[in-house]
Amino acid sequence: MTDFLIIFLGTSILYVFAVSRIEAFVKLLALQGFILFLLVIIDIREINWINIAFLSLETLVMKAVVIPYFLLTVIRKNEIGREVEPYITQFYSVLIACAIFFFGFIAAFWSAKIGAGIKPLYFGVSIVLIIASLFLIINRKRIITHILCYMMLENGIFLLSFSVANEMPMLVNIGVLLDLFVGIYLFVIFFNKIQSMFDGSHIDVLTELKD
Amino acid sequence: MISAVLFIPLFLGLCSLLFKNRIVNRIALLASPALYITIAIARWLGYTWHVLPDWLLAYFSFDSIGLFFFSVMAVVFAATSVYSLFYFKEHDLSIKQESIYVAEILFFVIAMTGVILATHLALLWVFVEATTLTSALLIYFEKKKSSLEAAWKYVYICSIGIALAFVGIILLSVGSKSIGSLFFNDLYARASEINPFWLKISFAFIFVGFGTKIGIAPIHAWLPDAHSEAPSPVSALLSGTLLNSAFLGLLRVQEIFNRAHSEQFSNFIFLLTGFLSLMVCAVFMLRIKNYKRMLAYSSIENMGILFIAVSLGKPGVFALLLHTLSHSFSKTALFLTSGNILHIYKSKKIENVQGLLQKDSRTGWLWIISSLSILGLPPFPAFISKFLIIKAFWLNGSSWLAIPFFLFLVVISFGMANAVFKMVYGKSQFEEENKFKLSSFAYLPQLVLLLVLLMIGINMPQQVFELINNAAGFFIN
Repeated sequence: MTDFLIIFLGTSILYVFAVSRIEAFVKLLALQGFILFLLVIIDIREINWINIAFLSLETLVMKAVVIPYFLLTVIRKNEIGREVEPYITQFYSVLIACAIFFFGFIAAFWSAKIGAGIKPLYFGVSIVLIIASLFLIINRKRIITHILCYMMLENGIFLLSFSVANEMPMLVNIGVLLDLFVGIYLFVIFFNKIQSMFDGSHIDVLTELKD
Repeated sequence: MISAVLFIPLFLGLCSLLFKNRIVNRIALLASPALYITIAIARWLGYTWHVLPDWLLAYFSFDSIGLFFFSVMAVVFAATSVYSLFYFKEHDLSIKQESIYVAEILFFVIAMTGVILATHLALLWVFVEATTLTSALLIYFEKKKSSLEAAWKYVYICSIGIALAFVGIILLSVGSKSIGSLFFNDLYARASEINPFWLKISFAFIFVGFGTKIGIAPIHAWLPDAHSEAPSPVSALLSGTLLNSAFLGLLRVQEIFNRAHSEQFSNFIFLLTGFLSLMVCAVFMLRIKNYKRMLAYSSIENMGILFIAVSLGKPGVFALLLHTLSHSFSKTALFLTSGNILHIYKSKKIENVQGLLQKDSRTGWLWIISSLSILGLPPFPAFISKFLIIKAFWLNGSSWLAIPFFLFLVVISFGMANAVFKMVYGKSQFEEENKFKLSSFAYLPQLVLLLVLLMIGINMPQQVFELINNAAGFFIN
C-alpha cells in the first residue's frame, strides 16, 4: 500500500512538469500533502499519540488544506492562469524530469545496497522531489510558481526525513512547521506587493538592483 | 538567564506592537540591549541562574564561544538601538511604523540569540530560518520598489538555501544513527562513530545552506542588495550580527569534523570559498558606484577572511575570533555613518557625495576612521587579526597562500579607500551656511565602537583577551 502511494507521489511530479496551469499545480500540492498524511497514518511505528497528532496536523491540516487553500485564493484574486513561457520548453523539461527520475532510482538502489537503515523507495522519490523542485525554480518565471516549488521542496524534505526514520524532538518539529507557515505567508505578502508595484509578476521584472 | 534573553525582548516586542506608544517603543528598544549587555557581563563574571524547566534548558546553553558571539551581538545591538532613535526622528516615522520597527528588530535579535545559544543542530536550523523571516520585513521597511526586490531575493534565496541545510541535517542523522541524537555535545563526544561518507555529504548541504546565509561567494547574490536597501541600522545589524550568528552555526558543524579527525575535507572547502569571496569582492570593489553596496561587498570580503582563518585550524582560531569582533564593530560603525551620509545627501551614489568633511566634519571623520578600521590599518584590531592569519599561513606550511591573500587585500583596500576619499574630499556643492549638524545619537554609537576598537587594538584589556581565549578553547585542535 505504501509503495503504491509513494509511486503515486512520484508520478505527481511528472504531472507538474507537464502542466502549465497554476491552479492545477496547487491542487497537486494539496494531493501531495494528503498522500504524505496517508503515509504517516499507515506507517505508524510507535504509539506516541502526541507525535501522530502533530504529524497529522502538519500534513493533513497544513500541507493538504490550509496552505493550498491560501495559495488558491491568492491565485484567483490575482487572476493568474498559466505559466509564462519557461526558459526550457515543456518537451525538454519532461525529458529532464525523466533524467531526474533515473537519478532517483539509482539513489534508491544504492541506498538499498548500503543498507544504512533507509527506506529505498522513500529515499529515491524524496531525492527526485527535491531536485525536481530546484529545477522548476530555475526554469519557471512566475513568482507564484516559485512559491509553489518551495512548497514542493518542503514536501520532499519531509519525505526524506520520513525515509530516514530518525525522529526529531518535538520542539524542532514545531519550529520547522512554524517556519514553513510563516515563510509561505511572507512569500505571499511579498508576491502581492510585487504584483502591485512592478509591472507584472515574473522574475524578469526584478531588475532594479545590479552592479 | 537564558529565559531572560529570549523572553524579555519577546515580551517587550509584543508590548510595543500592542500599545503603539512612543515611550513604550523607546523603553523596549533601549532596555533590551541594556539587558543583553548586563547578562553578557554577568556571564563574564561567572554568575548564572536558571528559571527554565530542565527539558527546555537542555536545548540552550551559554558555552564559551556562544558567550563571545553573544557579547559581540549585545554591543552591536546597543549601538544600532541608540542610532535608531536618530532614525525615528529624521524619518518622521508614525507611531505605528515605529512600533512595527521595534517589534521586528526585537524578534530578529531573539532569533539570532536562539542561533547562538542552541545546543541542538536542528533547533539551530529553526532559528537560522527564523532570522530570515523576521528580518525580511525590516529590509522592506522603507517600502520602495528597490527594497521590495531586495527583500524578495533575500527571503527566497535564503529560504531555499536553508531548506538545503535541513537536507544536510537529515543526512547527518543517517550517518550518526548509532548516536541517535543531534545535540552538539553528543555529536562531539562520539564524532568518530559518524560514518565519514554521510558526514561529508551532509556537510556539503549544510555548507551551502548556512553559507547562503553568511553570504559567502559564490552564493552571496542576496547580500549586496539586502544590505544596501535596508534602513541603515538594520544593515548594521545584518552585517554585524546576522552573518556572525550563521557563521557560528557553521563553526559548530566544522567542530564535528575536527573531532572526527577529517577536517582536511572541510578545511579545503572553507579555504576555497574564502579566497573566492576575496576575489569577488576585489573585482566589484574597483568599479563600485554605491557606497552602501561597497560596505556590503566588504562584508563578503570579511566573511571570506573568516573562512580562510577557519581553514587554518588551531593557529588561526584567535585571529578568527578577533577578526569577527573587529569586523562587527567596524562594519556597524560604517553602516550607521552611511545612514548619516544618506540623510545629508539623499543619495547612495558615490559620485553624488562630495566634500563630506566640509558639509559635516564629524560624519566625515567617522567615515574615514571606520574605513581605516575595517581595512585593517594599525592600531585597529583588524590589523592584528590579518597579521595573525598571515602568520598562521606560515605555521601551517602554506606560506605561498599569503601572497594572493595579501594581493586581494591590497586591491580591495585600494578600491574602498578610493571611494571613501572621493566622498570626504572634493568640493561640496552647498553653501557654507548649509552645514549639517545631526543629533548626537547619530555620532555617539560609532564613536563608542571606534574607541572600543582602538582600546582593543592598542592595549587589549585582560577581560577581552580572556573572553577570546576561552572561546578559542571551544576548538579541539
